Amino acid sequence: MSALNNKSPYVIDDQKISFTFDGKKYFGFKGDTIASALLRNNIRLIGRSFKYHRPRGIYTCGIEEPNALVQIPSEYNDPNIRATVKQIYEGMVVESQNRWPSLKNDIGSINNLFSPLFSAGFYYKTFMGPKGFWKKVYEPLIRKTAGLGKPPKKFKSKSIHFYHNVDIVIVGAGLSGLLAAKKLVDTEHDVLLIEQDNFLGGILKNTKKIKTINGQKVNEWLKKTETLIKNSKNINVLKNTTVTTYNFSNHLVALEDKSVGNLQEKNKPELVLHKIRTKHAILANGHIERFISFRNNDLPGVMLAASFEKYIHRYGVIPDNSPVIFTNNSSTFSLVKSLIDLGCKPQAYVDAREKKQIEKKTLDLLDTHNIPAYIKSEIEGCDGKNKVEEVSVRAKKNNITKIKTSMLCVSGGLNPDIHLFTQSRGLIKWDSTQLVFKPNSSFQNTITLGSVSGNFSYKKTSEEVNKKLNFLEETKNLEVKLDINDFEKFNIKELWETKHAKKSLWSKSFADLQNDVTTRDLKQAVLEGFDRIEHLKRFTTNSMGTDQGKISSVNSLGIVSKILKKNISEVGTTIYRPPYTPVSFSAIAGRSTYKFYDPERKTPIHPWHVNNNAVFEDVGQWKRPWYFKKHDGETMYEAVQRESKQVRRTAGILDGTTLGKIEIKGKDALTFMNLVYTNDFSKTKPMSGKYALMLGEDGMVKDDGIVCKINDQHFIATTTTGGAMNVLSHMEEYAQTEWPNLNVYMNSVTEQFATFNISGPKSRIILSRVFSDIDFSNEKFPFMTFNKFNYLETEIRILRASFTGEIGYEVYVPPKYALALWEKIFYYSKDFDLVPYGTETMHLLRAEKGYIIVGQDTDGTVTPIDLNLNWMIGKNKKDFIGKRSLIRSDIVKENRKQLVGILPLNKSENIEEGQHIIESETLSTPIRKPVKMLGHITSSYYSPTLDHCVAMALIKEGRKLIGGKAFVSTPNLKTIPVQIVKPAFVDPKNEKLLS
Amino acid sequence: MLLINCPYCGERDQSEFSNGGEAHVARPKNPELVSDREWSEYVFIRANPKGIFYERWVHTHGCKKWFNAVRNTSTDEILKIYKLGEEPPTLKDFKNTPKTPSGEPKVGSGNFAVKKL
Repeated sequence: MSALNNKSPYVIDDQKISFTFDGKKYFGFKGDTIASALLRNNIRLIGRSFKYHRPRGIYTCGIEEPNALVQIPSEYNDPNIRATVKQIYEGMVVESQNRWPSLKNDIGSINNLFSPLFSAGFYYKTFMGPKGFWKKVYEPLIRKTAGLGKPPKKFKSKSIHFYHNVDIVIVGAGLSGLLAAKKLVDTEHDVLLIEQDNFLGGILKNTKKIKTINGQKVNEWLKKTETLIKNSKNINVLKNTTVTTYNFSNHLVALEDKSVGNLQEKNKPELVLHKIRTKHAILANGHIERFISFRNNDLPGVMLAASFEKYIHRYGVIPDNSPVIFTNNSSTFSLVKSLIDLGCKPQAYVDAREKKQIEKKTLDLLDTHNIPAYIKSEIEGCDGKNKVEEVSVRAKKNNITKIKTSMLCVSGGLNPDIHLFTQSRGLIKWDSTQLVFKPNSSFQNTITLGSVSGNFSYKKTSEEVNKKLNFLEETKNLEVKLDINDFEKFNIKELWETKHAKKSLWSKSFADLQNDVTTRDLKQAVLEGFDRIEHLKRFTTNSMGTDQGKISSVNSLGIVSKILKKNISEVGTTIYRPPYTPVSFSAIAGRSTYKFYDPERKTPIHPWHVNNNAVFEDVGQWKRPWYFKKHDGETMYEAVQRESKQVRRTAGILDGTTLGKIEIKGKDALTFMNLVYTNDFSKTKPMSGKYALMLGEDGMVKDDGIVCKINDQHFIATTTTGGAMNVLSHMEEYAQTEWPNLNVYMNSVTEQFATFNISGPKSRIILSRVFSDIDFSNEKFPFMTFNKFNYLETEIRILRASFTGEIGYEVYVPPKYALALWEKIFYYSKDFDLVPYGTETMHLLRAEKGYIIVGQDTDGTVTPIDLNLNWMIGKNKKDFIGKRSLIRSDIVKENRKQLVGILPLNKSENIEEGQHIIESETLSTPIRKPVKMLGHITSSYYSPTLDHCVAMALIKEGRKLIGGKAFVSTPNLKTIPVQIVKPAFVDPKNEKLLS
Repeated sequence: MLLINCPYCGERDQSEFSNGGEAHVARPKNPELVSDREWSEYVFIRANPKGIFYERWVHTHGCKKWFNAVRNTSTDEILKIYKLGEEPPTLKDFKNTPKTPSGEPKVGSGNFAVKKL
């Protein structure tokens, strides 16, 4: 009944460790996993299932575990941690999942009685109505009862990424992996040996199937081999590392756990994500045992036979001293032998095969030790409350025999672990003798060794290693002699599920334990037409849990093939997708979290902004002042109204450093600029600027900015803040691919200059004070002129331009001098009430003037003609990017959306951006049919200067409608009557701008 | 992740590059003279074959140079990389390569065992 202790060389039993499970303290040993330690303490019930809240226990002894998932509050409270993998340490706190109020009495288990409601596809079918129920009733209900763990605590990932470039990767350090490594010792090949466990050996340590290797005891051979590998000049070993992904171009991703058996250290990486490029990949990652479906095959106490064996030899725990063993193949021989050798006696041995298929040594062993053998029999099901108490054996002629037991070991066959091989896009085939999918042909340089290639006989391993690896240079033939204590012939009989004698509503036969998919669900899905395996998988969620159905997916294929009366090879298999085992997001993120996720770019004036209570806005990676708070209580609306008013009254200054700046140089710079911009720069005077538009080849506005011509061989283009990189790439692309004959070079100089935009009636006098030697008069410094000046020991550039409609200047200064100059400007403007303003005020001011913002008033479907910017198109130019598209029939048609101004008829009413413009004044409530929409509001602000709202909109045939009336619809189905006007509200004649 | 052999920098990870779509789509010499249809085909229409594909790449986070590549879109193998202006290889050079992963059919994708054409 109870767990006994066996001596294991791999668990340090003089190091007692205490930990808690659901608040109760238990002891284990150093090297124990949570599962082995709980089994040591006779704990069988570990958690509740996903959908039906059924009691679940420990099913396996490794990464394939579907049931024993726990949460670790003593760390970051990561959910769904496999108890069969995670090692314990002193003071560890473990909690079970998906139960309330307690694991033993879980209220959610009532779901099990409603199970007809939760059958395959229930999400799709059940929750269709009534309206509003999904959000208010169904979703909260499902979120509360379904699912497994709770989300982790917020934490900062300390994981790192590690890159490797090697010749050969060996995945798995079991017998065949170690033989492969041994063959490569001290060759010229750069080798990486990766093992998911914390020691090398795999099957050699998990079982006693191999007695001696070349006459040496297994442990001695292992020790020597490990030393040999360790001392070799060319092999690196990664332990506690699982290869999760096998991509194209032999790119493997592996996850290393740095804190196995220890609390994660505060200042060291907890996980390392290895990204590996290799020339050859050797997959020696073994096999995983599969189960058999029978009634209540999920009860705590049902365990896979090989896992039971692994607990004995690897962890020194005998989970039960008299289990019932149920098998359809020869692999359980070593389990029976191990138990007998330890003085335990299986309660019964149930074998689905004919007597002649069972190996003689197994029958002899059962006979000698008087173990009841049920040949050609099967387990019909098991019963018990929260654990196995009794199993029903169906023998010939449908006779049911009941056996009292607390544990049932099951073996339904072995699956070669082909996940990585199929991820590499290798082709697999069905082996109808061994009943397995195994590798057929590689797609990349992938070699499979040992049981992953379907070779279950250890005797043939060295032969296979030699055969498959001898092509590698410098390798010699290995001579390996094994003394084996295992089956000779696998002799598996096809058995996926046993006949289910229905006992109660509670009775279920599971095809997928983690996602609570029953064999009945599979049948129902096929009946409903989901007979393609990929559809069936998604409809039933079969093998879609975190374990990806490692112990069960082939069984489901078997069951489906029987329903469809096809061979499994015809049914096919779903594609195994990475990752092989769950990968924590913290490992993927690595150090790219929080402020390292995306760089923050700050202007040289940033500290000043911070000191002056700027509220920042993210524009691309840049931090830009959004508005400046004059006092703590000031709202954004108040600040923007104050800033805007003051710019028009006196002057304002904006930090425009973030605007993209590109220098274009070369003999053919003029030709090039004439091709990438709509404007014609041929007659532009040197040292002057021009508002310029850039189109895509489809004729749509891509970016805008001011282009300054220094001379025909040298231009400086400014771009929008967000578009800076794209514009440079766009120019580079055309320069390299379309017009390589042009002599032109371009480079970003965004960070070489800080830019200040000073505008307002007082801007001229302020700048004259700051730069007393420069003449800023309208005659000497007219609109759109550009000049370079010496300033201290450097050079600054000043452009007279404006984005506000007031007189304005842009000052370009090397960043080193920027902050001092900014402060100097404030020093000289004491008498003129200069106000710093942010992006929101900038947007408001330009909207008052009717200037567009690319990306706000345009959306990639807007041409310059739609924006009334025909004047910017160089009509005399033969070609520029997008020119031809402007005369395409769809672009010249009249009913396109065009940019107009919008004013509310009732001046006190406010219009919101994004609101729709419609023709009719009234809307029917509720709305029964689509309302004809003319367009939408692109920009809208309350203008403090005009004292009413001003807006711009893109509306159908807008230009024709100017002077007319329309309505803006609001969310409460009222409408606002508006007037359609030209989009210029302040200084429409440019008198102020040019003064 | 693919390994791409930039003709200027050597083998680098795919994450340093951006794909620029089909290669050798010539911009009409005299856009004014072509029909709406021809122009639209130049601007909007691109091939999307399963198999051999001539495409453009740019080493965005590197030398920023554009170059051409021939890739088998069903296997993601890059078969040839050549600089702009260099003579493109002919289809004949890749006669034996259009194998597909997992032996899937020439069109479509997914479960080959079920979707036999």
